[in-house]
Amino acid sequence: MTEYVGMVFVVASLIAIFSLTAPNFFQVETFRMTANQIPEVIILAVGMTYVLIVAGIDLSVGSVLALSSAVLGVCLVRYQLPLPVAVAASLGAGLACGAVNGSLTVAWRLPSFIVTLAMLQAARGLTHIVTGQQTQYFRPMIRELTSISVLGLSLPFLIAVAIAVLGQIVLCRTVFGRYMVAIGTNEEAARLSGIDPRRIKLVVFTLCGLLAAVAALAQSTRLGSATPTAGTGFELEVIAAVVIGGTSLMGGRGTVIRSVFGVIIIAILGRGLIQLGAADPTKQLITGCVIVAAVIVDHYRHSFRKAPLPTETPSPSL
Amino acid sequence: MDRLRVSGIRAVAVGALAMGVMLSGCAGKKEQKDAAAPGKPRVALVMKSLANEFFKTMEDGARNHQRQHLDQYDLIAQGIPDERDINRQHDLVQQMIAQKVDAIVIAPADSKAMVGVSKEAMDAGIVVVNIDNKFDADTLAQEGVSIPFVGPDNRKGARLAAEYLAQKLRPGDKVAIIEGIPTAFNAIMRKRGFEDAMTAARMVIVDSQSAHWETSEAEKVVSGMVSRHADLKAILCANDSMALGAVAALRSAGRLDDVLVVGFDNISAAQEYMKEGAILCTVDQHADQIAVEGIIYALDILEGAATPQDKETRVDLVTAGDIE
Repeated sequence: MTEYVGMVFVVASLIAIFSLTAPNFFQVETFRMTANQIPEVIILAVGMTYVLIVAGIDLSVGSVLALSSAVLGVCLVRYQLPLPVAVAASLGAGLACGAVNGSLTVAWRLPSFIVTLAMLQAARGLTHIVTGQQTQYFRPMIRELTSISVLGLSLPFLIAVAIAVLGQIVLCRTVFGRYMVAIGTNEEAARLSGIDPRRIKLVVFTLCGLLAAVAALAQSTRLGSATPTAGTGFELEVIAAVVIGGTSLMGGRGTVIRSVFGVIIIAILGRGLIQLGAADPTKQLITGCVIVAAVIVDHYRHSFRKAPLPTETPSPSL
Repeated sequence: MDRLRVSGIRAVAVGALAMGVMLSGCAGKKEQKDAAAPGKPRVALVMKSLANEFFKTMEDGARNHQRQHLDQYDLIAQGIPDERDINRQHDLVQQMIAQKVDAIVIAPADSKAMVGVSKEAMDAGIVVVNIDNKFDADTLAQEGVSIPFVGPDNRKGARLAAEYLAQKLRPGDKVAIIEGIPTAFNAIMRKRGFEDAMTAARMVIVDSQSAHWETSEAEKVVSGMVSRHADLKAILCANDSMALGAVAALRSAGRLDDVLVVGFDNISAAQEYMKEGAILCTVDQHADQIAVEGIIYALDILEGAATPQDKETRVDLVTAGDIE
């Protein structure tokens, strides 16, 4: 548990500060609504953590999210397809984008930064083409998805939590998870010991694309519509959350749970600043400062730590 | 074996790419006829974001008009992918100058930054007409130029919507504003228009924050606002995309029935929400007509039939009753 001390401390301080300064902040309602607004970030943080662990990066997640929700919207509105078909098409779109990212990266050994930067552009372009640059409104067609909730927590939030838990288990307790860490730490060494890095990377990028589509579904069910500009700049929000969580941009190190803490920190900060009524420039300034401060505070977790990070422990399954 | 697998993956990747290109090729038809018939004026339409439904409608309106008046002028329509990309738009205008077009009709990405390059165009003998987002008067004076503006009065539009809202409220009721990008001229004008009408009707504006024209950001901002102000009665949004986000936030907070939402732009999704009663009203600036009016005006100036003066285009209030 000691490895989460720094994160918990940052979250608790933020909550304490905003409870004292922002009107009506410390309420169950605040936390319930904030939770319901972050499933798409949690879901993508899982995918991004994996991508960063294998020493890649995925800049296309925001655009792929927009494309997937555009496909959902167009299937429901223009072609009037049944909901399951539209959802499948939407997931397929995300999966395909991820597979293209992965296969281009692997087949030509291109830096994923470049491949996904290209996908960021291409998927955004496709989104505009698919939607005819019009916001698609489909709330009446997705009633089945919006009506489910447990204790006021929406279905997308519960799914996001499940994905995060599953993501952490796969990372720490499976051979696949250990392979990802091995490749991110030293790809050549991993290859020489009989792991095929290309297959693992292909799967990781494809998974990230698929998760972008799941995130798109989570967002669309809440907003009831798909805007062609949705998810602009979203990749940076996700990367910031994952990096606050201590995942290394150099690969080989990171955990899903800590990334989720990063998401929570950014969400609470954003919510608090809105409830304070802070002006736009102030919000940006403070967000920047808190990102750095959170990473610095977390740096001192090493002084509390007795056990090494789970990703650094040798796994019995390897 | 290994080789084979790599080339297999490469083949798949190439296939997927080719499909993407084909798809975009089918839908993204760009008509750019640079070679103009002699004597026919060439008009460049330099737009803001082509990613925005509003500008898309504007561009479509211009293209339709040109198709009906093929003998009168040639149209070169250009836009930038991101409406904040001032640099790109600057380059576009310089390209148009180099191509020696006869007139430039421009929706500036920034009301100050684009004045200089527009002056360059005028110095090169090109007629410049400003549409949609009005150039800053002080900057124009500093550069010593006057550029005619053809477009809607955003402030008046916002005032119309807010006045309609005021009829549904009682003096002293608390309202909040969701602003567009704080530095954009139309965002500033819409905010002022909301403020004009709300102050005149003696409502209390308790909060005003930006959601940068975006749906999901507006959802977060409104969600925070309604927690902070438990007795909020209405939310005025500077565009419809943000109004959609406001509705989502209110619905999730269970406050949709006691908080009224006002939008701006009259996009189709907002019309659906008005039918449901989730959005009270919006404003139509007749985007399809704005660029057309600008082009006609530029042609008139070229023929010497008009003297450069500002010209206001139509702005109308749209309520649920206006939608069949």
